[in-house]
Order: sequence, then structure tokens, then C-alpha cells
Amino acid sequence: MKPITGHGWSNPLYRLVWADPHRRARKLLQFAEVEAEGARDLFRAAETMRDPGLRRRLFAHARDEVRHAGLFRTRGLALRRTLANPGAAKGLGDGLIAGERGFDKLEVEKESVTSLLAFIHLSERAAAKAFAAYGAVLDFDPDTRAVITQVARDEEGHMRYSHAELARLAPGSANRALWAARFRRLWRAYLRLALILADMIAHVFLTLFYFLLVGPFALIAKHASRRETRGWHVCTQRPRDGGGGQY
Amino acid sequence: MKILGISAHYHDAAAALLVDGLPVAAVQEERLSRQKNDPAFPLRAIEWCLDHARIDPSELDAAIFYERPALKFDRVLMTLLRAFPHSWRVFPQAMKNMVGEKLWIRGIIHAHLDLPVSRIYFTDHHLAHAAAAFLTAPTENAAILTADGVGEWATLTVGRGSKTVGGASHIELLREVRFPHSLGLFYSAFTAYLGFRVNEGEYKVMGLAAYGTPRWAAEVRRILTRTPDGAFALNLDYFEYHRSVDSTYSRQFLDLFGPPRDRFEPIDLATPQGQHYADVAASAQAVLEEVIVDVASTLRKETGLSDLCMGGGVALNGVANARILQKAGFERLFVPSAPGDAGCALGAALYADRILFGQPHRDCPDHPFWGPAVEPEGLARLASEDGLPCDRLSGSQLIDQVVEAVAQGSVVGWMEGAAEFGPRALGHRSILADPGDAVMRDRLNRDIKFRETFRPFAPVVPAEHADRYFELPPGGRRLGRFMSGVFSVRPEWRERLRAVTHVDGTARVQILEQDMAPRLHALLTAYGRRQGIPILLNTSFNLAGDPIVTSVEEGYSTFRRGGIDLLVADNALLRRQQARQQQPMEEVA
Repeated sequence: MKPITGHGWSNPLYRLVWADPHRRARKLLQFAEVEAEGARDLFRAAETMRDPGLRRRLFAHARDEVRHAGLFRTRGLALRRTLANPGAAKGLGDGLIAGERGFDKLEVEKESVTSLLAFIHLSERAAAKAFAAYGAVLDFDPDTRAVITQVARDEEGHMRYSHAELARLAPGSANRALWAARFRRLWRAYLRLALILADMIAHVFLTLFYFLLVGPFALIAKHASRRETRGWHVCTQRPRDGGGGQY
Repeated sequence: MKILGISAHYHDAAAALLVDGLPVAAVQEERLSRQKNDPAFPLRAIEWCLDHARIDPSELDAAIFYERPALKFDRVLMTLLRAFPHSWRVFPQAMKNMVGEKLWIRGIIHAHLDLPVSRIYFTDHHLAHAAAAFLTAPTENAAILTADGVGEWATLTVGRGSKTVGGASHIELLREVRFPHSLGLFYSAFTAYLGFRVNEGEYKVMGLAAYGTPRWAAEVRRILTRTPDGAFALNLDYFEYHRSVDSTYSRQFLDLFGPPRDRFEPIDLATPQGQHYADVAASAQAVLEEVIVDVASTLRKETGLSDLCMGGGVALNGVANARILQKAGFERLFVPSAPGDAGCALGAALYADRILFGQPHRDCPDHPFWGPAVEPEGLARLASEDGLPCDRLSGSQLIDQVVEAVAQGSVVGWMEGAAEFGPRALGHRSILADPGDAVMRDRLNRDIKFRETFRPFAPVVPAEHADRYFELPPGGRRLGRFMSGVFSVRPEWRERLRAVTHVDGTARVQILEQDMAPRLHALLTAYGRRQGIPILLNTSFNLAGDPIVTSVEEGYSTFRRGGIDLLVADNALLRRQQARQQQPMEEVA
């Protein structure tokens, strides 16, 4: 297996992304959440795994993810505390790229052992690549770089063990499983894009609908609400409901 | 009749199965999907319930959903129209949410179960809460009070119920407070302000409140006002939940209470800022208690009934429950093990059986253990595959060994029989430890549960000894059955119960009757003989962010991940000490 290195061509872009300390802190905290989520998936995979050897490895992998979550969180918080205005503490949003998504809502119970391992291998490979690339552009922040480099090294280890286990448990079909997993990742990426597009289109149409058509009904609703009293209301009786209407 | 109750799509989805008027299975989806507070349509829970009872979906006489989706849509739409044009950002989101899925429940149930639509029913959300509280309680006549965030329109209802074994059951909801005026949403706004997750962190606000003084109560009363008819109303200038996607409180709220807590930073109660947040929590808690005690007192006078059944998420507030019991004039207060939305699955099924179909009432078994059972063979298998010695012991041997271990400072993961239905671990999926050592509390918070240091742990005590250690008002024993009340620890015992006594001298005690969990009762009695106090610290068997464990595999995994010393699954026992010495643990990946 080839050693993982950062993408040379994208380094200027990554340098730009990571230069802003606000974004850097936010991304580290996002990574902490993704790693914690990944750990849960892996613990779940270990709980449902029948093969004892693989179960132990998945368990160890999950513990690594917990450690990574801690590392990212600690560094993200330290960085955040240096900021004059750290920004809203609400949701962190998404905006993650392929290598940053961890196991991307993997439903471990529904996976066969081979597809699970292939999926883990590819996810870890993508993560190792991404983190190697980030480490390469973080020379101006040695503390963050140390965290990212350490995680990148671990992800390489995960990538190797998952490949070795795949070869052990499915010697004849490892390559096929890997290709199937690649297609699935591609399909998921397409679905994600399609959903984002559909969501945006729906959002635009519903907003137009809101401003063009809802106004008159809103006036009626507001007028009706003015007659409504505060406090107790008599509960609605449904004598002809027959039990169980939707309204 | 075979009736399936379903709750879903808001938070904490669940399914419950009733056969001939009695529950046979009930489980929250999160316990099977392993996603905390999983709101998804509870397919796994439904499948488990049906498998457990060996029933094919086609054999169901009815499936009933815990609320009326079209009426809920009516409320959502009306709220958006009333907030026009400020609701423009939330409108697309809400429409996609409702029209995309939540409105088509009949079709979803039909598609998944292949059940004729004529056998699919709906009930009012608060009727389901009322049924869950009243029809499971061992009382024939009771007043009913339900309060939560919001159902369809109602946020709080009061009423009364009557039933006799073999006879008819009646539930009459007399009146209601309607959205947007809601005690649940009021409390959730403070939950969000204090940096906790809404619908999940409300109990943290309750725990934090004990550290503060209610010096903001006057300000809180400006936003939660009383109406002349004895109900309440929220001053909506201080809230955003009715017109915003991502915020529950408004700018005026912040002008009143200051900047919200940064959720990434821990609360440091030694700092003025940390103390401020504790004071705000105490103020919100105090005003909530004032209102709900007053509503309950009026209900007591109006109905003249001595028993009160409470349901809805607000009934998880043990401090408020205890205040109601002490101040409102009721002799007994019944809160089911699952008073929140999950419990509505069981409530809806009971409502269908007793009220819709007019079946005669049968007393429900008075315990919360309706979930999947432990399989100790699974633990033995896992242990043997990992080369760990797993002992299979007789009942008395097991209890002796656990008592000795806890007395030596060990933390025990205790799994027994069927899992609890509801958010509390009531002795079948618990972590047990010595209640006397404050170091133990800190160790559990830091190394095992990985949670905030200010949060208290609960004790479990045999019912016959409860009065000796806790100041229980009349009816307190009943309220403590499902850990639904917070009571004072008697001052003379606080030093010896440091790990379970909160900063204000109280504890959310579980009062255990022998018939509910005989083995845990025997353990407590044996522990009392060994240590002089028959009380154990009892906290849910899970790590932060995870649902309570269900299967033995999840128990084993949690045992390995946290600093738990002993794992018990029925009669199987596994020790960490031996594990450390005899088995190289996980290989490095």
C-alpha cells in the first residue's frame, strides 16, 4: 500500500481555509463531533460482530476515534479561547468534505462484514489523505499541526488494518468489495448533492409561495388570533370522531 | 384485542403492544437503534414488540398513533401565518418537514405493516399522555394533569379519570392551555440559554438550579405571567420558537438575562458567571414550580379527588413533582415510568383498548420492565471469546460477591431481565456503586459517565427503609417508585450518603418495593447488612451521549469503555480486575 501524502495541487486552497483562526477552531470542533460519532458507529460494529479478532480491532479503532475526538476538542477549544469573538455557540453546520465525514451515517447492522470493512478502509483512506494535506499547510500553527499529524498517522493505521482484515475474511472478494464500496460512496455523494439541490429548489419555491400567496391568509389568521383569549380553553370534544381521525 | 401504539417524529419514538388489555412489550426506538432520543418512525421497536409477542402485523386489531398529524399541521401552519412576515425563514423548513413526512402517518403505517387503513387510528397527544398516566396507575378515580412542550395545540391539560376492574374507563380532559403558551417550551428556552441541548438537557437545568438562588424570579415572572382565570401565558416578546428555525429565545430575553452560556465551555460555579447561570436556572425552576403547583391545587379543589396522575415531559421534573405532592393537597401522585412522548405509545394503545373500543379495564402490572431481556449466555460467550473468566453463580453467591465488591469501592454494571420502558434506569439496566463516598461521585462523573461535575446521582433504597433516610411526605413512597420525586435526605445521613446527596441536601430517590425487582431488593438488603445502610447509588447504564444499554453486548461494550469494575448479566459475572491481569486487551489497530 502506498504511503499517504497531502495533495500538492490543493495546498494553496487548504492554506487559505486553515489560515483563518475562527474557521480553524470551528473545523477542529466539527472534527471532534465527527470522530465521536464515528466512535459510536465502531463500538456498535464491535457489539454486533461475531468474529472475535475483528471485534477487538474494531473496539481498538473506536477507542482511537474517542481519543481523536478528545484531541480535536481540546485543541479546538484552546484555539477558540484565544479569539476575541469566537462566534455563535449554536450548531456547527456541516460544510464537510469527503475525508472529513467519518463514516457518514453508516448503519452498521445492515452491513455485511466485507462491505463494512471496505467502507471503513475507504473512509480512513480519505481521512488520512485529507489530514496529511492539512498537516502540510499548518506550519504556522504547530500545535494544531501536531494534532492533525498524529490523527493522520492513526488513520493510516486504521486504513491498513481494515484492508488486512478484509483480505483475511474475504480473500477472494476483497477487491470486489472495495469497488462496491467506492461506488456506494460515489452514489452517496450524488444523493447528498441531489438532496442539497432539491432542498434549495424547494426552499426557493416555498419562499416565493410564502411571499406571493400566504399574505392574505396571514391577514385572516392574524385577525382571528386577535379574538383568541389567553388562559384556559375548553378541550375540543369529538363526538363523531369514531376514534382516531387525523384531524 | 391486539393493539399497537406508536409514537414518533418529534423526539424519543417508541412502540408498545397491548394484548387483551395488558401491555406485553414496550420499547423506545433509541434502545434498539442506539441513537439517543431517536425520533425516527420506530420500525425496530415495532418489529421487536411483534416478534416478542409472536404476532404477525396482520393479526393486529388496531395500530394507533399518539397524535393527530393533520391537527398538528393546522397548528404549525396557523403559527406561521400569525407570525407573517417574520416567519419567512422558518416557513420552508416547517413545510418540508410536515408535508415531506409527518403528515402522512396513516400511509407510513400502512406501508410498513401492511395493515388496512381502517385499522389505523389516531388520538390526541395529551389524551395519550393522560391515558399513559391514568390507565397504568393503581387508582380508580384520579385527577389528571398533563404538561409538555406542545402536542397538537394543547401544551397543558387538566381533567379527571375513572375506571373499575372489569368495568368501563373514562378520561375527561376539562380544559387546556394552548400553544404558544407552554411550560415545556418555557423551560426549554432556559435549557437552550444555559447551553444544553433542548429536549435532552432539561434535567441538567434542574440539577444546576440547586446551586443557585432564584434572584431572577421577578424577571422570569415577567415572561411567564398568570392569567386571571388561573392559567398562564408566555410573553412572546421574549421567545423565538414560534417563528425561528434555530433559536428559542429572543434578543429581549438576552437583554434581561445577559449573554447565553457558551456550550463549549464548562460551567464553573466558582466564577460569578457560573453562579449567574445557576441563579437563572434556579429562578426558572422556582417559577415553573409556582405555576404548576397552583394549577394542581386548583384541580384538587375542583375535583375533590385525592389522587393525581401526571404525564408529559414536565412530569420528569422531580423537584416540581415533589412540590406538587407537598403543596397541592393530593394524597398520592402517580407518574408513569415513561411520562414523556415515548410513554404515549403505551398511552395511545391503552386509550384505544379502554376508550375507543370500550374494553373492560384490567389493572396493568405496576412495573416498568417491558423491554428486551438480557441473555447471560451472550456475556459468557463474549467473555470466553476474549479469554476472560465469566462466572455463573447462584443467586446468593452473586449477591455476596457484588456486595463485597461494592463495599470495596467497585462500580458495578447491573443488567437483569427485561429493560425499563422510560428514561430512568430502575434496577434492570443500572450502574450501582457505594453511595457514601463523594470521591465515587466524582469518579463516576469523570471516568465512567463522562458528564458535568455538577450533576447529582440518585440512590435506590428498599421501601421499608426509605423513611429512615429520606424525608418523605405522605405519598412520597409512591412518587419514588419510578424515581419521579426529589426529596430531602435526612440531615443525620447526608454525610454517609455524600455520593447521592445533592448540594441542596436532596436526592432523586428510587424507592424499591420487593415485588418490583426482587434481586435488586435482595442486593440492597445484603448491602445494608454488610455496610449498615441498605442504599446504593443507582445511575443509568450508559456513557454520555449513548442510550441506556439494552443487550448484553452493549453492556459488555460499555463495561470495557468506561471504568466499570464488575459486570453482572442475570447470573453471569465478569470482573475487570481479572480482565486486566489475564487478558491482553484490544490489539492496537
